[in-house]
Amino acid sequence: MPGTISTDDIELIIENVGGGGEGKPPVRRDGDGGDGGGGGGRGNGGNEGKRPDPPASPNRYITGMSVGIIAILIFFMAMISAFLLRRNTGHDWMAVRLPGILWVNSAFLLLSSGTIEIARKRLAAGNGAGFRAFWGLTTGLGVVFLLGQFVAWRQLAAQGVFIASNPASSFFYIFTGSHALHLVGGVAMLSFVALRNFETSTVRRELAAEVASYYWHFMDALWIFLLTLLYFGR
Amino acid sequence: MDDPRNAPAPIFAKRWTTRLFDSNHKANGLRYLWLALLSVFLGMAMSLLMRMHLVWPEMQIPLLSGMENSPERYAALTTLHGSLMVFFVLIAAPQLGFGNYFLPLQIGARDMAFPKLTLLSLWASGIALIGFMAAFFAARDAGITIWVASAGICCLAGLLGALNFIVTTVDMRAGGMSLPRLPLTVWAWFVNAILSFLVFSILLAACVLLLSDRIWHSQFFVMPEFARFDSPATAHVSEPLGWQRLFWFFAQAEVYIAMLPCFGTTAHLLSTFSRKPVWMERGVVLALCAVGSFGFCVWGQHAFISGLNPYSPLVFSTLAASLGLPASFLLMSWLGTLWNARIQLNTAMLFALGFVSLFVSGGISGIFLARHDLESVAVNDDFITGHFHLVMGVAATFAILGALFFWFPKMFGRRLNETLGKVHFWLTFAGVYAIFMPMHWLGLIAHSRTTPGMTLSAVSAAGISMRTFITMATLLTVAAQGIFLANFLLSVFSGERTRERNPWNSTTLEWSVDSPPPVDNFGTGPVAVYRGAYELANRETAKEFLPQFVAPPPDPKSQQARK
Repeated sequence: MPGTISTDDIELIIENVGGGGEGKPPVRRDGDGGDGGGGGGRGNGGNEGKRPDPPASPNRYITGMSVGIIAILIFFMAMISAFLLRRNTGHDWMAVRLPGILWVNSAFLLLSSGTIEIARKRLAAGNGAGFRAFWGLTTGLGVVFLLGQFVAWRQLAAQGVFIASNPASSFFYIFTGSHALHLVGGVAMLSFVALRNFETSTVRRELAAEVASYYWHFMDALWIFLLTLLYFGR
Repeated sequence: MDDPRNAPAPIFAKRWTTRLFDSNHKANGLRYLWLALLSVFLGMAMSLLMRMHLVWPEMQIPLLSGMENSPERYAALTTLHGSLMVFFVLIAAPQLGFGNYFLPLQIGARDMAFPKLTLLSLWASGIALIGFMAAFFAARDAGITIWVASAGICCLAGLLGALNFIVTTVDMRAGGMSLPRLPLTVWAWFVNAILSFLVFSILLAACVLLLSDRIWHSQFFVMPEFARFDSPATAHVSEPLGWQRLFWFFAQAEVYIAMLPCFGTTAHLLSTFSRKPVWMERGVVLALCAVGSFGFCVWGQHAFISGLNPYSPLVFSTLAASLGLPASFLLMSWLGTLWNARIQLNTAMLFALGFVSLFVSGGISGIFLARHDLESVAVNDDFITGHFHLVMGVAATFAILGALFFWFPKMFGRRLNETLGKVHFWLTFAGVYAIFMPMHWLGLIAHSRTTPGMTLSAVSAAGISMRTFITMATLLTVAAQGIFLANFLLSVFSGERTRERNPWNSTTLEWSVDSPPPVDNFGTGPVAVYRGAYELANRETAKEFLPQFVAPPPDPKSQQARK
């Protein structure tokens, strides 16, 4: 079937696209698809190297991350709707006094959103060492945040507030826990971008860093939102 | 053609690692279909057990009579039947099975956007299936926990699958495959993927909260029992309203998740075998979008006793009733496509027509149920069982079977036996009406006991004979599925070979490649699309059919202009 197409025909298509083709040229650049971040990989082993990998859009990583972020947002929204519902039913709600360390943790996480942007600027400017330093700093701040959250849990547990204590504490632990779990994924993603050898990959490090930074900023914003909710919704 | 990449993928790869973990979209699609095939027979066996228990409660069944014969067992059986049929048949087969196989082929992509993600979601589904089955055999409390965990895994799998579908449709289309040129199957999969990733996220959150309640004794859905002042220990009672609300976000939309891809394949099949373009194709796309968006908004429809605002049933009823609008439009389009057509009545077309018939019959009883006041008396009744089995379960199964007969030559390079297929169709078609139509009647006479002058014994006597009839019909219909199983397995391994690329004279891209398709679908050259998906019997081109992939003859005017 590919044999039936001549360049003339392909130019004809551009005229016929009629608005829906999103401006994509019919012939995609070869070699920027294939295997990267979370997916890719052709089914057969064998002669991978002999031909250029079939073309595929690099946009898919950004689209995929956007859809993933919406899905996570809805996941938390469902929990939040359960929170609001549960808060107003029954008389067993006992406010959780938020440990002070949470505010420190939040500052670290906010800071990391800044450093990840600096790292990406350095990468775009071709400053590899600067990128690695700030990217590493971001990852470190993420780990510090996670450790801080763990300390907050220990402090609450020391006061005798456990997940089973009352609905408010249940929600505190499930919100912080789910967020922390997602952030562990974020730290893994940052480490992957830092450690992966992009020379052999068809994906550029800039793209991987961009996709990872979207997730990171989202985790940051989500935490601020959850903290606000936990503070005012005590 | 000597290139191994162009070789057709074997149905069963030699190496078992390839057989299980090959991430190619066709391998994944086929695995989903095998999973659905296994689950549908398991689920049917369970429905048969339930029917037999209803009519002959003292009957001893060899393997299962050893288990405690309790109402809880029966409830567990119902739950398991529903879970298998919903998660592994209705969601898996039309969307994840045929979708994973044919979405890249129909839009001119070489694979899904993230093939390894598909593989992950597939095996997560497999684990969940094992989990559901294990839940049935475990002790009651442990069983419930395992069921919730399995449902959560299913949500995660569905979420990843839906994400993949969205990204593939948005970013992986071939040149010239603009949105108006997408086949309706692709539109249906796309709308469905958006709907399912929304509701699966919500059900996943609900499952996490419920699991946390069951494992860590958190208090999301439980409340201390204040009514018992005499007891010093505060006992906790479960408070299912919160769970119920989150669950119905999923459960009501799930009906449309099952139906949407079936709408797509049915429209596609009716057009192909009527040899006519889809009537009002743009309108059908809009109707699919409308079903998707209304479907997400009717979650409160069945939650009328869960303490929602008393005015909310009015809103949800209106929304649910307005779903009739796009549904009627779809029906009109199907009939418009069939109108004055030279219909090719092969088995695939018979099943597509069967879908239309069942959809109408089931849909009409749905109009009654969209009234919240009527529904509130019928919800636990045989009436509603009959309604949703016809419109959702059986209709969707017919669409799946139609799609299977349609795409079988492409998937396996062989044909299913038409005679066996037709016998199976007519037996099943008669069988499902014989099973589910009397259920509507059962639901109605159950209410007649509240009318004065009607004795309970008269009502139950009428009910018993009808239930026996339903059970006999179920037995025969399930037996008829043996014909299908035999036909399917025989045809996969030794059916009539067809190396023809386009046996149905169809118009979409999957028919431009070999049967079965090569591993990378289209080779390395550019894939180009030249026209809409339903160029059948076009007066202007005077062609009986014009596939999307056939290049138009070079236009002499533009040639001259270029010179």
